[in-house]
Amino acid sequence: MASLTSKMFPSVGRINIGRLGLKSPSRVTYVTNLSSNVSSERKGVPDGKGRGSSDKKPPRKSGEPRTEKMSVDQDWTAVYPAAAPFKGNAVPLPVRMGLPVNRGIPPRKEGNLELIKIPNFLHLTPPAIEKHCEALKPFCTKWPSALDTDEKCDQLFPIKVESTDYVSAGPSVRNPAARVVHLRVKVSSLNLDDHARKKLLKLVGERYCKDTDILTIKTDSCPLRLQNYDYAMYLLTVLYQESWKIEAWEAEKTRADMEEYSWEDSPSQKNLLDTLLHAKVAGDGDEQEVREQLLGRKEVQEFKESVTRLKNEGDNESSLQQYKEAVQKVLHL
Amino acid sequence: MAASCMHIGRYIRRNERFLRLQFEQFLSIRSFALTPAVHQAAQVHQEAAESVVIPMKKTWSKEAVLQALASTVSRDPTVCAYRFQDDSFLSPRNFSEAKTYSYSLESGRAAAKYIINNNPNLFTKDFAEPHIPCLMPEKVSPLLEEVSEAALKERINLRKVTAAVDMYDQLLQAGSVVSMDTTHDLLDLLCLYGDSDPVQESGPQQEDTEESEQELWSETGFKKPSWRKTNNAERIFNLLPDRDTRCYSALIRGMVKHGASKKAFDMYSELLNNRLTGDVHMFNALISAVPDVRENPDEKWELVSELLKQMNQMSIRPNLLTFNSLFKTLKRCGKLSTIYAPLALNEMKALGIAPSLATYNHLLHMNVHGFLKIQVLRNLLLELEGCSFTCRDPGDNLFFGTAMKACLINNDLELGYKVHSLLEVGENWRLLGAANKQAYYYNCFLRLLCQMENIDVVLKWYKKLVPSMFYPHPENMMGMLQTLDTENRLDLLPMIWKDMKTFGHIYPDLVEELLSLMARDKHNPKVQESFAACALDVKQTFSEKGIEWKSSYLSHVSTVLLRANQCEEAWEMLLIFKEKNLVPSEAVLNSFLSECQSSIGPDRAVELVQLSAAFCLPATSELASRVLVDFNLTESQRTILSQLQTAEKMSD
Repeated sequence: MASLTSKMFPSVGRINIGRLGLKSPSRVTYVTNLSSNVSSERKGVPDGKGRGSSDKKPPRKSGEPRTEKMSVDQDWTAVYPAAAPFKGNAVPLPVRMGLPVNRGIPPRKEGNLELIKIPNFLHLTPPAIEKHCEALKPFCTKWPSALDTDEKCDQLFPIKVESTDYVSAGPSVRNPAARVVHLRVKVSSLNLDDHARKKLLKLVGERYCKDTDILTIKTDSCPLRLQNYDYAMYLLTVLYQESWKIEAWEAEKTRADMEEYSWEDSPSQKNLLDTLLHAKVAGDGDEQEVREQLLGRKEVQEFKESVTRLKNEGDNESSLQQYKEAVQKVLHL
Repeated sequence: MAASCMHIGRYIRRNERFLRLQFEQFLSIRSFALTPAVHQAAQVHQEAAESVVIPMKKTWSKEAVLQALASTVSRDPTVCAYRFQDDSFLSPRNFSEAKTYSYSLESGRAAAKYIINNNPNLFTKDFAEPHIPCLMPEKVSPLLEEVSEAALKERINLRKVTAAVDMYDQLLQAGSVVSMDTTHDLLDLLCLYGDSDPVQESGPQQEDTEESEQELWSETGFKKPSWRKTNNAERIFNLLPDRDTRCYSALIRGMVKHGASKKAFDMYSELLNNRLTGDVHMFNALISAVPDVRENPDEKWELVSELLKQMNQMSIRPNLLTFNSLFKTLKRCGKLSTIYAPLALNEMKALGIAPSLATYNHLLHMNVHGFLKIQVLRNLLLELEGCSFTCRDPGDNLFFGTAMKACLINNDLELGYKVHSLLEVGENWRLLGAANKQAYYYNCFLRLLCQMENIDVVLKWYKKLVPSMFYPHPENMMGMLQTLDTENRLDLLPMIWKDMKTFGHIYPDLVEELLSLMARDKHNPKVQESFAACALDVKQTFSEKGIEWKSSYLSHVSTVLLRANQCEEAWEMLLIFKEKNLVPSEAVLNSFLSECQSSIGPDRAVELVQLSAAFCLPATSELASRVLVDFNLTESQRTILSQLQTAEKMSD
């Protein structure tokens, strides 16, 4: 047993070493050494078949790359007219790419998979782009001269519709993502009064961006882009019409439904008036008249403004400052 | 030539942004906005001071944008044809390789088509959107099995000749009447294919591919089946109760196509006996068959004119093909062609039929003197300048080759350029024909240029045309060598040799010319170096290909090597002389001594003299004396030399 195992180990080791020895040269040189390996294997086969290697034709050698024939002032757009993979024999640049192995240099461009894998823009050199633009000019119409500023465009054409086309190399030209339509409009450009605006914003919810005042309607529920576009326009129309209508049940709007804080009939007003009454600042009289009189006072108005501002805008330096000053004034501190 | 590669781009995302009009709120409550894709009229929006005029949207066809972009690219002169792999190892280097690769491409395609068509159950899923019909399996075998006219029609559509004939016979046996239309179609089918199945029927597709590829490469046409004596077409024809014009027409055309011209004329006389009218296709076929049935030019013309008269009597209007077949027959009529061809042309003009390129080709081939031919061509090109042609006759593709050959024979360079410019108009390059016809045209063109133009223009055209448009013939290489010689640009000789090697034109006279040009004069050292490298390359190619050496080759190569001070290689050449039992000239040996005086040792010199003695050259003694004088020799060497010297002197 022991003797067997001891015999095993050296052979295993030898095999490993042998493998290691063969591996390193073949890794660096990609394809070129393959033919020599194959021919050496063939020589190892016994010549009982009667065909020696001398009878065979010499292996076909690679011709010279066509970069040799290219002149310096050639038309590059003819060499790469459209997107094509990197061809080492067509690109006259001495490019090297890849990981240098064993303190070597990056491998050559011939047969270099790294260069073939990556996308290249050899077909879109500046002269090519100029030529393309010149060729596409007849398809374009002139920009209306009256629309020279962005503001004018926004004013005259406030609705902006966006859709995306997708092109890929494959058997099918269809892409389901191409049906999506985004419709953007500035709410301020719509003719809405206060109630209508608030109702519209309630109806659209998340689609409205407060910072830019842009309402975005994204439709992708129909299978075709035209259908989605029609649906988006329909939605805009319906929103507009509905926001102008006043339904009966809208009268039941509670304080919790309000979008912004209003001081009238709020706990803050009640508390302030109660405080002031208790402080006996105003003259005597009917309670209701006194309240109204108090409301008419300037400090109370300032207090109202500051509270409203604080509740609507949130806590920041200036609003808190304003509140402090207003409270001080009202309570004569 | 328009770009041969039009790819659709890869991943391109294109955002469109439509600018839209605002609602007209004060107009109507329910106003829907207008869609810009459909709306064509100009919209004017009145606003403050200026009015915005939106221009009308332009519309174009589906391919217009691609065509516009394609017009920006031109042909790359260094690349081979698009169908080959663009790789320095894989692209074809000469004509035979290109042919082989083309055949293999087509054979692969045909094999794939065969597999798809014969296993349609494996190719049911259709990925392509929009649908590409040519990639899906085609119906190859008929579906209907019962004996009926519909089944017969199906077999005719699928071009199954034997199956259709069987079905027809079964129908007749069953007693049902086959409609006249179907019978016509059946007769047309039989006459088109000469009563044998088209080659698609046979299992492996090699014959079909070779056939189609041969059409592409050589256009000699495959061997058409000849009209058999016991023919199904004739049998069915005889079985028909009433035969009308179309039946006769089909049969006559089939007979002419498959070589039974005599029978065709018999059939025609039968038609006349039955007092039926012919149609224009039948007369076309008959006119083109006239040279097969009559030998004498006069008789030929007589028959042709008779046919034309009868055509007139039947008030059948001739068409372009009629006139073309008329011209083709006139070509074989000898001197009569010069009389009648202009008349026929006038007739064509009177009838309003525009001549096609095949007409012009036949005219050029008429039996006219060379000078007249050039006049004809000149006038023709003046008329045709800037025209773009379509193929209206199968013989259209011969025109350009004939025209260029005529220019070459008459050494008319300007006319050659005119012909070439006509070729570059629009799509006219398609009318050059198969690859070998294209090669023929460009060969003539290049030879014309080599003879008449100076070297820069020749080189420019050479670089432009070779090897992307064609692979030159050996005559072109010879022409190039001679041009280099006359224009004193012998430094380009190595380039020519490289091309010769790539194209496989290693012929004795070419090599002889090349080597003699290299060895003739002494040039500056750099050129000499390149010549020496070239000569060594020649030597290596000879040993690789196993070509026989000749003494002239060897002497030229040696001279070149000596001039470049490569004495080692030159010595090897002398050894080859000995090996092949060829005799070097004295000049070689003398130059060897003089050039290599410093570098070779005395042993070498002595060997040289011994060598010359072995060849029994009269110059041995002089050589010996020179060596004695110039070199430091040992005693033994001196004795040998003096022996040789005296030996020679004694033999004189």
